Amino acid sequence: MFIVNDLIALLAANLILNQALGTSTLFIAANNRRNLTWTAVAITLFTTVGSFAAFFVAAFLPESVRDLTLLIYTLIISIIYALILSAMFFFSRNLFDRIKKYVHISAFNCAVMGTLFTITDRARADASFMHLGDFVLSGLEAGIGFVLTSLILTAAYRKLNSAKVPSSFRGFPAMLIYLGIISMAVYALK
Amino acid sequence: MLKNAKQERLIWLDIIITLITSQIMAYFYYGARSAFVAGIAVVTAAATEFICLRLRRKPFTADDLTCTSDAMILTLMVPTVIDYKIMVIACVFAIAVAKNVFGGRKNMIFSPAAAGYVFLLTSWRSQTLQFTEPHVHTGLFEKAANLVSSASHTFNVSGKLEYSNFELLMGNCVGPTGSAYVLLLAISALILLFRRDISAGAFIGSISGTVIMSLLSPTADSFHTSVKYALITNMVLFASVYIVADKRIAPKKDYYAFFYGLFIAIVSYILVLTMAKENAIVIVSLLFTPVALALKNLEKRIENEKKQEEDTAASENEEKLEAETNA
Amino acid sequence: MRKKNLILEGLWNDNTVLSAFMVISPVIICGDTLRNALALIYAFSAITFVSVLISSFVPQRLPYAAKIMIYAVISSIVFIPAKLAAQEFFPGVVERIGIYFPLLAVNSLIVFQTEARFFRMKKSRMMISLISYILGFDAVMLITAFIRELFAYGTINSRMVDMDTLISGLGLPFGGFIFLGLFSGIFRKLRSATERNKDKEDA
Repeated sequence: MFIVNDLIALLAANLILNQALGTSTLFIAANNRRNLTWTAVAITLFTTVGSFAAFFVAAFLPESVRDLTLLIYTLIISIIYALILSAMFFFSRNLFDRIKKYVHISAFNCAVMGTLFTITDRARADASFMHLGDFVLSGLEAGIGFVLTSLILTAAYRKLNSAKVPSSFRGFPAMLIYLGIISMAVYALK
Repeated sequence: MLKNAKQERLIWLDIIITLITSQIMAYFYYGARSAFVAGIAVVTAAATEFICLRLRRKPFTADDLTCTSDAMILTLMVPTVIDYKIMVIACVFAIAVAKNVFGGRKNMIFSPAAAGYVFLLTSWRSQTLQFTEPHVHTGLFEKAANLVSSASHTFNVSGKLEYSNFELLMGNCVGPTGSAYVLLLAISALILLFRRDISAGAFIGSISGTVIMSLLSPTADSFHTSVKYALITNMVLFASVYIVADKRIAPKKDYYAFFYGLFIAIVSYILVLTMAKENAIVIVSLLFTPVALALKNLEKRIENEKKQEEDTAASENEEKLEAETNA
Repeated sequence: MRKKNLILEGLWNDNTVLSAFMVISPVIICGDTLRNALALIYAFSAITFVSVLISSFVPQRLPYAAKIMIYAVISSIVFIPAKLAAQEFFPGVVERIGIYFPLLAVNSLIVFQTEARFFRMKKSRMMISLISYILGFDAVMLITAFIRELFAYGTINSRMVDMDTLISGLGLPFGGFIFLGLFSGIFRKLRSATERNKDKEDA
């Protein structure tokens, strides 16, 4: 019973279905299953590690310079991005060549930045949330949410791109409407 | 191909007959307005389907009349006193957006009726969940008075229902236009099952899931009361027949369809139990669409692999035979 | 490419939102009222134009990853004065838009399309193309917000209009998804119809 409720809560707080964050990235990655899997993994990594760093920004950045939050987050993501690429490069050139494009599209997008801002806003509104563990967990949750939505889209991918779908709706428009109807069902459960 | 088309039409005919019987019951309980709402819904659905097909440069055939059964299902899930304009919008949404955008009846993804219902629920919640008492006949252009919550809502909130078994069996309780006639629904389910018009696996799975959950986490004092209420309230029986077991949506193989129905029932039971979510089964069915699609993909992959294995075995046999004859 | 085609590129042939599917989150979530839309249009136009313009001076010899990081940092810096100005011109709206305001600064038009499209052109052509893409977003945002506000809330720019049946779902995120999907499908249909007519005329 708890699992079902947790799953519903995860869907209800899903960054794509609920906030449309990362929809463009999802569509770019939706070209094939391999793309989608690697992008989902990379985004989960960025949201989790990014949330870890975001905790310190939320905790220590003075109110007077809050407008710098975006710049600081961009710098944080840039560092994570550079570190991941360097680590991959030194670990295996082959892996680097295969995966770098997924890291590129996963770094600077609404899914990652939106997660950091959402978590920070939540912590600012509710002081009890201002814990490192909560930040990291929320980042991981956001990443899992992206994975879940990727799976939802993958299940229908063949049908949404089928020749039976009217040409003007085939592909992205059908994907948007499909996600919209799933999002509607999630909203109805709230 | 011809056989398939014929079968599709026969399925639609069987389903529409069972829906019309529910509609006749609704006429006795709620008067001419229920028939009028159904008429509006059917005409809107047919007109929308026709326009969508014309836009796609496809002819409107008898098979395309399946949209009318979706409209009838939607009508039976809402109050008789619903605003006509809202009903028209919901039907257009169900047929144009949830069905034809994805390629119509040849590439079904969502149950149009379930999508239409959830659309109503999210946009006009109070209009969708406020009902008149049975035997209150509202005029065609009259504004409804004394609206009340459904029996399902009362049960979800209090865990009790003050109706006799006979009243429940006949659907003589506050609720949607036509989804509470238990006896009629049971007969319809049996007919549709025997005529293979609905997915037996999904239907049995859905009912089994509800029964199992009633056993594991009863909502009433005794097990049988809990099962009875769990099946009767929240449109569980109605949705199990017309939405969960919809052959166009459920996985083809009964084995997979069973688990699809089972999980829908389990999740919706939990949602009713923990969140008192009225008619959760319809929402969960819509949410489980990706699961149905994933299971269908799996079926297809297994079928292809089997076919490939058979082909390889056949070609190996042929080679063997050829070698033997040569020898 | 001719200048006229360049102008039409981002607006019609390869619309930022409806064809390229970039920057769709703000349209889905915040494109439900004209007031939000105007604030987002201002922010998107200002941040994207200035950021891409400044980014065009970044040496092209740098590695791809380094360039992406520099573009993101530039747009994050441009965001600061843009936000201060928005608070002046659209009081209250910035708060209402919330996280979608800063997210405009990391939109894919700035971060990825600069490399793939704009920086392969001459500066003057790049400017025309960039403006066309920005106008493409602005037009979609305006149309989306106008229709959604009218049918979801029964208002036009917060002024009441006589509408007796409202579709409240259209103002919600799922309404945004569905509306944008339908809009994009209709847009594609219209575009292919005009292309067909053009081909006929050419023939």
